[in-house]
Amino acid sequence: MLNGPELPEAIRLSNGLTVIHKALPTPVITVDVWLPAGAIVEPEGCDGVAHFLEHLIFKGTERLAPGDFDQLVEAGGGLTNAGTSYDYVHYYLCAAVEQLPQLLDGLAELLLRASIPDHEFERERQVVLEEIRQYEDEPDTVAAAALWAAVYGEHPYGRPILGSVESLEAQSSESMRQFHRSYYRPEQMTLVIAGGIERDRALELAEQCFGDAASGSATAVMGDRLVATVTRPTQPAPPLVSTDLGGISRHALALPNVEQPRLMLAWPGPGIDQAEVAVGLEVLAVILCGGRLARLVQDLREQRRWVQDIDCDYNLLREGGLFTLTAWLDEEYLERAEDCIRQHLRDLANSPISSRELERAQCLLNNDFAFSLETSEQWADLLGYHHTVATLPLALAYPQQVLQWNAEGLQALAQQYLSPEHYTAMVLRPEETDLQSSVD
Amino acid sequence: MTETLASPASTDQLPQRRVLANGIVVLVKPNPTADIIAARLFMRGGSGWETADDAGLTNLLAALLTRGTENFSSLDIAEQVESVGAGLGTDAATDYMLLSLKTVSADFAALLKLAGEILRSPSFPQSELELERKMILQNIRSQREQPMAIAFESLRQLMYGDHPYALPGLGTEESVAKLDQVQLRAYHQRHFRPDNLVISIAGRIDIDDAIAHIEEVFGDWVAPPEPLAQLTLPAVSTQPSRTQQEQPTHQAILMLGYLGATVSESGYAPMKVINAYLGNGMSSRLFVELREKQGLAYEVSTFYPTRLEVAPFGAYMGTSPENAAKALKGLHHEVKRLCDAPLSDEEVEATRKKMLGQYLLGKQTNAQIAQVYGWYETLGLGLDFDDAFQAQLEQVSAADIQETAAKYLQQPFVSLVGPQNVLTELEAIELG
Repeated sequence: MLNGPELPEAIRLSNGLTVIHKALPTPVITVDVWLPAGAIVEPEGCDGVAHFLEHLIFKGTERLAPGDFDQLVEAGGGLTNAGTSYDYVHYYLCAAVEQLPQLLDGLAELLLRASIPDHEFERERQVVLEEIRQYEDEPDTVAAAALWAAVYGEHPYGRPILGSVESLEAQSSESMRQFHRSYYRPEQMTLVIAGGIERDRALELAEQCFGDAASGSATAVMGDRLVATVTRPTQPAPPLVSTDLGGISRHALALPNVEQPRLMLAWPGPGIDQAEVAVGLEVLAVILCGGRLARLVQDLREQRRWVQDIDCDYNLLREGGLFTLTAWLDEEYLERAEDCIRQHLRDLANSPISSRELERAQCLLNNDFAFSLETSEQWADLLGYHHTVATLPLALAYPQQVLQWNAEGLQALAQQYLSPEHYTAMVLRPEETDLQSSVD
Repeated sequence: MTETLASPASTDQLPQRRVLANGIVVLVKPNPTADIIAARLFMRGGSGWETADDAGLTNLLAALLTRGTENFSSLDIAEQVESVGAGLGTDAATDYMLLSLKTVSADFAALLKLAGEILRSPSFPQSELELERKMILQNIRSQREQPMAIAFESLRQLMYGDHPYALPGLGTEESVAKLDQVQLRAYHQRHFRPDNLVISIAGRIDIDDAIAHIEEVFGDWVAPPEPLAQLTLPAVSTQPSRTQQEQPTHQAILMLGYLGATVSESGYAPMKVINAYLGNGMSSRLFVELREKQGLAYEVSTFYPTRLEVAPFGAYMGTSPENAAKALKGLHHEVKRLCDAPLSDEEVEATRKKMLGQYLLGKQTNAQIAQVYGWYETLGLGLDFDDAFQAQLEQVSAADIQETAAKYLQQPFVSLVGPQNVLTELEAIELG
């Protein structure tokens, strides 16, 4: 990692659109367009519109009939898709180099001039409602949503990205067009072109396809969302059962198709403006759960055998992330396992981790980073995400940030963020179980 | 910038292949782009060898390989892997067992040595066996939380009857509860031998270095005198029928299954085209007709994995209860349509291009490259299977597709999951 890869520059076209080009020795090209128009910008009562719009973008323009673009990409051997998160939405395609001019033109047309015909709007809403139903049948998704709602409360991160039946039924094709006009502007877009193409050619194509889109005031037609601050747990929505016991906010959720109880714990953490702190929390996540030697895996799964598995993650979000810990275990071990986890958090806060543990965690994270930069798709994702949600240089700063942490710093970090006395706890269990037993 | 374009990893070149004296087949695809190496070690065997009594044996064995050897404990092994931030994992599949390795180049030799110890001298410690058993039983239970998995599991049992492809790779709660060290040792004795091993490597390494490392670790491993066991499986003799599982779900899961062509039959390439035409991507027929035009589903697709034996072909979707009847008829209609009328030449050509492009996209990472070629070798398809298959694809006509559909896709096995009232409503629908 000493001679790390070179950071590409962000180039502004005259209409404000940012282009990032990364040359790679491959016959494949990835185009990835990023916008900060994720669920976080949704106005009140409009939960799910960012994601719904992502679906509607593929429904064509005056020039392109619905499905034409998909056909163009796939009949040329490529693939295309999109994703919506809280902080961003992005649209990407992978294809052979020679397909690029045609496909880039099509993607620009969709993004800049989506027409959202009324009948397509109605039908696609049914598709998104099916997507919601499908996720309602996945216990892990339902439980995660409930946990995030419990932690973030009224903040947009507490709302489901897919929205709800009610919030989607409240939309019209015109409200979706307004949302599109407000947020899908060239000065908001980052276009990443990664793969087997020269810089000049990439820029030329970017100018040709996106250059004639007029920039304009980014004033949101639907009204600006005030940036709320991340708050301590507030009232969750039913069917949650919750009790706040001092510093621990407890919630229980029972679902009919659950076979295996889960214990989920969560701690709010820093946002993207403290990315280096977020990296430190990732190191702590590895110390706790990254591999068979990690503390919680070794103790709770390998030695005591109270859990079938245990995992933790730091989910970095722009306005404030979430450290989550999930254990799969039988009902009888719930309490003991949680006590044990809290003891491990006390240990982290009370004494520095060994240099051996630290080196192992750093090596694992940095190798994972190196292993995740093999394809043009991975590169485009890394560059587009950072330029849109953080800053471009942060994209390649990760390995250095990982190495900057030492035992004392991590100990202080555990003290500050991973309190054994203040957190949100959620138990997911089969519906038949008596709920009262968990909250007494 | 130009120098980075000057030395592309030659994706169109086949890996080099050598056979060692003890029968190990080595494939190496040098790729200097990044300072990493991926390796896949395939041991032929797999859950295709299992019976209802020992279902899940390959999976359990794979899980236990990294949990103790003659010289190393579970902790020792984890220490060697995790201290250098490498990846070492094992998996069981229908036709083989797999050890996967991913390291920075400098650590490769040490990790390969560990892989050698793991494959040659596993000890299957009783205490680790009990732990893995517990974890696998949990995994089996968690499958029942997923409506799609429930539908697929039921469909497979219905389609394959007494054939081992009916068995779940994880095993059943009954079989996994009884698996023991004696069975594990016998399985290891039978399948783990050098003349049954394929080692496929891609990354910053050349063939001579790779061979030298492999000779050092595996060179003194001698194949036993008795010939390799050959698998003879019963013919699949089931007739299309229906199964349904009542679940209090928000969506009904509809799954149609058909007994499809083996990899060596002439129906293989046409059936791959059918699979891509119906279910692959946003321009696929099922996606366009059932999702884009009718809004009946979010997920609608098909599957047709490559198998040495009769392979399952399936079409499936999740839909809301009130649309289930319409969706089931629509899903069936789209498959049946292929039996009744030929596709247009344009449809065939577009599907073919889609498939060829995706072969390119599916061989980008070192791990993907090592996997694809190692798998071709393991299944006996030959390293030039890509070219051979592409040539076959060129030959597939609309008439071949209709003929193949008419032969294999006439009458479906049906697996349904959902609330009781939906299942009752669907019972009345004839799918002739």
